[in-house]
Amino acid sequence: MIAQPRHALRALALTVTLLLGLLVIGMLALQQGTPTLTPGQLGAILFAGEGERLTRIVVLELRLPRLALGIASGALLALSGVILQDTLRNPLAGPELLGITGGAAVIVGAITIFRLPAPAALVPWFTLAGGLAGGLVVLLAAQSMRSTLRLILVGASVTAFLNALLIGMISLATQNDVNLLFLFLVGSLANRTWAHLAIVLPWALLGVPAALLCARLLNVLQLGDDLAAGLGLAVAPVRLLLLVIGAALVAAVVAVCGPIGWVALLAPHLARRLLATPNAAYVLPIAALIGAALLTSADLLARLVLAPTELPVGIWTTLLGGPLLLILLRSHVGVRHE
Amino acid sequence: MNRRARVVLASGSLLLMVLVVLHLGVGSVSLTPGEVLRAVLDQADQPLHRQIVWDLRLPRAMIAIVAGALLGLAGALLQAIMRNPLAEPGLTGVSAGGVFFAVLWLTRGGTMAEPGRTLALVALAGGLAASGLVVLMARGPSGNTDPVRLVLAGVLVSSILSSATALVLLRNNQALGSILTWMIGSLNGRVWVHWEALWPWAAFALPVGLLCAGVANALQLGDPIAAGIGVPVERARLALLAIAALLAASAVAAVGAVGFVGLIGPHLTRRLVGDDARCVFPGSAVLTAVLLVGADVAAQIITLNPPFATTPYRAGLPVGAVTALLGAPFFLYLLRRSGS
Repeated sequence: MIAQPRHALRALALTVTLLLGLLVIGMLALQQGTPTLTPGQLGAILFAGEGERLTRIVVLELRLPRLALGIASGALLALSGVILQDTLRNPLAGPELLGITGGAAVIVGAITIFRLPAPAALVPWFTLAGGLAGGLVVLLAAQSMRSTLRLILVGASVTAFLNALLIGMISLATQNDVNLLFLFLVGSLANRTWAHLAIVLPWALLGVPAALLCARLLNVLQLGDDLAAGLGLAVAPVRLLLLVIGAALVAAVVAVCGPIGWVALLAPHLARRLLATPNAAYVLPIAALIGAALLTSADLLARLVLAPTELPVGIWTTLLGGPLLLILLRSHVGVRHE
Repeated sequence: MNRRARVVLASGSLLLMVLVVLHLGVGSVSLTPGEVLRAVLDQADQPLHRQIVWDLRLPRAMIAIVAGALLGLAGALLQAIMRNPLAEPGLTGVSAGGVFFAVLWLTRGGTMAEPGRTLALVALAGGLAASGLVVLMARGPSGNTDPVRLVLAGVLVSSILSSATALVLLRNNQALGSILTWMIGSLNGRVWVHWEALWPWAAFALPVGLLCAGVANALQLGDPIAAGIGVPVERARLALLAIAALLAASAVAAVGAVGFVGLIGPHLTRRLVGDDARCVFPGSAVLTAVLLVGADVAAQIITLNPPFATTPYRAGLPVGAVTALLGAPFFLYLLRRSGS
C-alpha cells in the first residue's frame, strides 16, 4: 500500500491514455449521428462559431450536453463503486447490487409517473433518501456485508422487489409508454440537455473532490477492522459516512439518467487490474476516468449500432459489463466465498 | 403417497377450484360465482356472460393453472437435483434463456401474436443453453455445484440475457404489453391461441416430470449413496435438468418469465408434506398453480381498482410483478435461514 514510484508512473501513463481515449470518444460522439460531421466542421462549430443553424443546435444543444452528462455520470458511478467496494471490502458491492440504485429509481420513477410537484434541483435529495433506504434494507438483510455471494443475492431480490414496484406503477398509471419503463429499469442518456446537466453538476463538483479525499480512509479500511481501529480510526462511524457518500454520488445520476448499471461495479475492478495495486489514491481517479470512458462509449453504441432506433444505454452497459464482470470475478469469487 | 400428502393435494385442488371461479368472475364485467358456474356449464343468464367467460377468461385461467403447475414442478425438480433450496427456473437462467430465444424466434417471423407450437421447443433450447452455462460456471474447484454460487451465476447470466431480450424487443418496436409479458411475465391478453400452443407440451412434460420423483429421491440422498443404489448420477442429473428445463420452457413460452412462484410453491409443499419427492412433486404442481392463479386474481383486482390515479389506456398490472412483490421477501427469508 506504500506509494511506489512505479505505481505513480503507471497511474500517470493510464491517465494520459484514458484522457486521450475520452477525447477520441468525445469527438466521435459529437461527430456521429444525423448529420455526420467531419472533424473540420466540428472544429468550426465548436471554436469558430460557424456552421448551419440546425447543425449548430444539434451539436451544441443535443450532443454536447449528452456527452458531458455521460462523462460526469460515468465518473460519479465509478467513484461510488470504488468507495462501496473498499468500505465493505466486498468486490461485488456496487450501488446497483446494494439496492441503492433501485431505491433511488423507485423514488424518481414515482415523482415522474405521478407528476409530483418536486423542484428538479431537489430531486437528487429525494433519490438519495430512496437510495439510502434501499441500501439499508440490503445491508440489514445480508447481515454480513463481506460475504460476497449473500450480498449479491439479497441485492438481487431487493432489486427485483423494487423493479416490481416500478413496473406496477408504470403499467397502471401511464399510457403505453415503453421509454418510461426502460428509463427507470435500465437508465438512458437520450434527450438530455444542459438543464439536466445543471442538476448533476453541483453533485459532481462536490462529490468528485469529496470522493478523492476519501482515499486515505479507504486504504486504512482495506486493512481490516481490527488494524484500522488499531490505527486510531473510528471504524463504524467512518464506514457509515463513506456509505452515505457512496450513495450520494449516484443519487444525482439516477435522478437524471435512471439506474444505469454495471459501470460502478466494473470500473473499479478494471482500474485495480490496470494499476496492479488496490491503493485507493490511484484507483479512485483512474476508476473515474474509466467509468466516464465506459459510459460514453456505451452511449455511443446506444446511439449508433441500431440507428435510427436508439436503445437505452443501460442495456448496453449490462450487455458489455455483465460478461466482463463475470470473467473478472470468476477466480475472485471462489477465493472469497465464505 | 402418505396420508398427509393426500390431504394437501385434495385441499390444494379444492382451493384451486375456488380461486379459478373467482378468477373467472373478476374483470371489468364482474360476475358472481353463481353466474360464473352457470356460464361455464353453458347455462348462462345472458349470452354476454357466456361469451366473456368462454372467449376471454377461461383460456387465461387455464393457462394460469397449467403454467403454475409447470413452473412449480420445474422448481421442485431443480431444488431436488441441485440439492439447493434456492434453485428456481428464474434463478438458474432457464427462464431468461427461454425468453431470449423465444423473443428472437418470434421477432424473426415478424409477428408476436401467433405463438405456434414450435415456440416452446425454441424456448427449451434457450433454457437448456442458459442453464448449462450457469451450471458450468457454478462448478466449484471440487467439481460440485455450490448452491449459492449457482444462484450467483444464475442472477448474473439472467440479467445479461434479459438485457439482450430488451434489446431485441426494443429493436422491433414492441408495445408495452408485450414487453411486460416477456420481461416480467404476464397473463394479460392470453387467449385460446396461447392455450393451443401450451397444452400439448404440458400434457407431455407434466407426467414425465412426475415420473422422475423416484430418481429425484435417490439424488437427494447425495451422490455416493445414489451411486451405491445403482443410479448413474451424472446422467440422471443431466436428464432431470433437461426435463426441468422443458417444464419451465413450456410455461415461459406461454406467459413469459414469471419469477419466484417456482421457488415458493415447492417450499410450501415441502413444509407441508416432507421431503419425499413422490409427494413433493404433485403437491408443488398444485400449490404453485394455486399461487399463480391467486396472484393473477390479485393483479386483475389491482388493475381494476388501482391505488392511485391512472389513465384508461394503461397496460394492466402484469402477474409477474405481483409474484415478485410476494416472492422477493420470501427469498430473503430463505436466504437468512440457509445461511445460519
